[in-house]
Amino acid sequence: MSEAVEGKKLASMFEQGAAILAKNVKTVDALNVFPVPDGDTGTNMNLTIQSGIKEVQSAADNHAGKVAKSFSKGLLMGARGNSGVILSQLFRGFAKAVEKKETLSVRDLEQALEEGVTTAYKAVMKPVEGTILTVAKDAAENDQSEHSSAAAWMSSVVKKAEASLEKTPELLPVLKEVGVVDSGGQGLVYIYHGMLEVLEGNISKEKAQSQPAPSLDDLVKVEHHQNAQSHISTEDIEFGYCTEVMVSFDEDKLKQHHFDETTFRNELAKFGDSLLVVSDEDLVKIHIHAEYPGDVLTTSQKYGSLVHVKIDNMREQHRALQQEEQTSASHEEQTSASHEEQHEAPAPNDEAQYGFVTVSMGEGIKALFKGLGANEVIAGGQTMNPSTEDIMNAIKKVNAEHIFVLPNNGNIVMAAEQAADVSDKHVEVIPTKSVPEGLSAMIAFHDQAGFEENKQAMQAARQEVKTGQVTYAVRDTSIDGMDIAKGDYMGIWDKDIVASGKNVEEVTTQLLENMVDETTEIVTLIRGENGQTSTDNVIVNYVEKNFEDVEVEVHEGGQPLYSYIIAVE
Amino acid sequence: MGRVKIVTDSTADIPKDLVKKYDITVVPLKVAIGNETFQDGVNLTTEAFYQKIESSEELPSTSQPTPYEFETVYRRIAENEADEVTILSIHLSSQLSGTMQSATLAAEEVKDAVHVDVVDSKRASYAIGIIVVEIAKLAQDGADVKACKERLNTLLEETKVYFLVNTLEYLQKNGRIGKASALFGTLLKVKPVLSLSEDGQVYPYFKARGRKKALAAIREAVNEQYGSKPVHIGICHANALESGEELLEKTTSSLQVESTTITEIGAVIGSHVGPESVAVTVMPAK
Repeated sequence: MSEAVEGKKLASMFEQGAAILAKNVKTVDALNVFPVPDGDTGTNMNLTIQSGIKEVQSAADNHAGKVAKSFSKGLLMGARGNSGVILSQLFRGFAKAVEKKETLSVRDLEQALEEGVTTAYKAVMKPVEGTILTVAKDAAENDQSEHSSAAAWMSSVVKKAEASLEKTPELLPVLKEVGVVDSGGQGLVYIYHGMLEVLEGNISKEKAQSQPAPSLDDLVKVEHHQNAQSHISTEDIEFGYCTEVMVSFDEDKLKQHHFDETTFRNELAKFGDSLLVVSDEDLVKIHIHAEYPGDVLTTSQKYGSLVHVKIDNMREQHRALQQEEQTSASHEEQTSASHEEQHEAPAPNDEAQYGFVTVSMGEGIKALFKGLGANEVIAGGQTMNPSTEDIMNAIKKVNAEHIFVLPNNGNIVMAAEQAADVSDKHVEVIPTKSVPEGLSAMIAFHDQAGFEENKQAMQAARQEVKTGQVTYAVRDTSIDGMDIAKGDYMGIWDKDIVASGKNVEEVTTQLLENMVDETTEIVTLIRGENGQTSTDNVIVNYVEKNFEDVEVEVHEGGQPLYSYIIAVE
Repeated sequence: MGRVKIVTDSTADIPKDLVKKYDITVVPLKVAIGNETFQDGVNLTTEAFYQKIESSEELPSTSQPTPYEFETVYRRIAENEADEVTILSIHLSSQLSGTMQSATLAAEEVKDAVHVDVVDSKRASYAIGIIVVEIAKLAQDGADVKACKERLNTLLEETKVYFLVNTLEYLQKNGRIGKASALFGTLLKVKPVLSLSEDGQVYPYFKARGRKKALAAIREAVNEQYGSKPVHIGICHANALESGEELLEKTTSSLQVESTTITEIGAVIGSHVGPESVAVTVMPAK
């Protein structure tokens, strides 16, 4: 009988699995089939597993079941992208199977892996073979052989995973066409490799670091991205000065101005927000965010003398803070301890019937969604998939009876569904796969209608719009029968590349030629951050000349990477 | 009780020949365009109105008839009839205009001379008119006030109207948007199907981009509601006859249509919904 795996060892296995994945993030990213600039399967899986490791490390347990549970919880909260969500489900099943076990035998590990696969398959509505799911399934397959040790067993798991990975192109034609193996599956193989190293006592030289080099960039990006979410932009600060005043009451002045705390509070309230007033017989202390601190001082001075005054310019603080966040990834604590955070009491307001959480990149697109009534617009999408936790945090901020989540990206749908599952609010995910689908769904929403009715109307609306996207290739490739050079523009209709070339106008008009048909009424162009109005004009002229009765609308979306996002309806 | 006489206002958009045929008294609202004020449908034809607003920078504004104007009309009707009469005065939704207010005050003023029953149709345009015409027919055939009012209440419950506006600008600037106000944040050009709620406010029945989807939504709504029951159809249009005809064809072709009336949206409602708006009203025939 071989030695059982203890909690500490299991934790090391997870850590080393994460480390090996982290080391190979870029490789995994590069395997993404579509040569679009958002090939981020590796990044997503890495961020997901880092969240799991963080949880394991903070729990620091030697109970194997508890270690697995912490890992699973961290993965679940950090899950990003479809591969990340599937990874989290694999270990959710794993953790469930070993929940009560202090140490794990080979048989326990075997069963846990199997349970993980079952859980992941259940979580995916339409499992696609030739992906991470297949690799996980094949790796967990019980070959009925007796393993002398956990290391021997894990070694066979890795072999099976590798063999399965090699076969993914046979199962998924698109992989074969591009000539790559599945990126998510590759990610899982790396993780299993790391786990094996620990069991074999043969940890590779680039030993588990808590912050593996390739992921630092990404963590910076994520932190930055999250901070950008939780903090309003500097320009949006309405009351610019944090003002603290301590007043010592003056008998003579009190004769003229009787002090009553409630009245005083009301008097000050008109100058700003975040108001705090504390008084006793001798003193009153005031904290307020005001645009004109002088008004606060004058009003306070009516009752006595100013014994202490402190005024901070919050716009400057905010600006400095934003700069720090951009240059450092480790400022998380500082941010949360920042001035604003302390005073940011959630405003209790009346619960609305409906609320919306949506995901998009670009200020212009955000404005379009806000204009249609979105409460929270999570910055994310193509370049950065928000995690389950990001989505949950946005859901938390919305005070509504029913909350609709519109992920607007196929790779965020599962994380959104996971967030909806975990949330104790009534959350419904409308699985919008693009910004146009999201906009159409929101337009179809009707505040006087019932929940079910709205859900159906939004579902239907999202399917009635065609999505086109114009972006550039990040590498040379041959796909959908087209040879595409790195840097070329590509016109993508839903999932297919239908046009490519060196010229953005040509590619866009070619794309539109494919998409527009006799039922088309409106073409909406959402221009990316680097777009030119002169390009808009070429495209608008093209549509007007070639398609009678089709209206064209242009909006500034401000999205990165995608020159145009196009809705045809 | 005696005979029933029908009074309405110019926002009912009833074609002139029907006004005459069924002996309906129409009290005009007023429209101001620039410095000029007109009496809706009296000294301003709809054609002239749409020409004027096209050339005017400012949006037209409208005002309700004064109580005195209603009083004059009520007294004249009473005096012209040898026998005792009851007046049914049916008007534009009180959520959209103060017309109901004026009529109610006037009715109180004249109560010693004649009994006036003022009714809030909670509707606008030919959605009022189609019902008023039906009640006027009944009254002409000698139905008493009780029968008229019963029929009126049924029709008010069962008659639906759907507007397709070309732009929301007019409704918004005139403050007549009611529950549809939520639409204005949007930067996208959304052309909703508007209807009137039970309390007479404008609300977006259906939102989508594109006329085909809007027409399909109306068609689905009326088919579901009226199925194979015989109905009367009213189409009204703000200087957009073709568009009105398209609306008729695309939304009502599978209904059991007994009659169709096509009428123009007059200056007052036209000021609120804007040119090129169209509406379809469906009223049960039995």
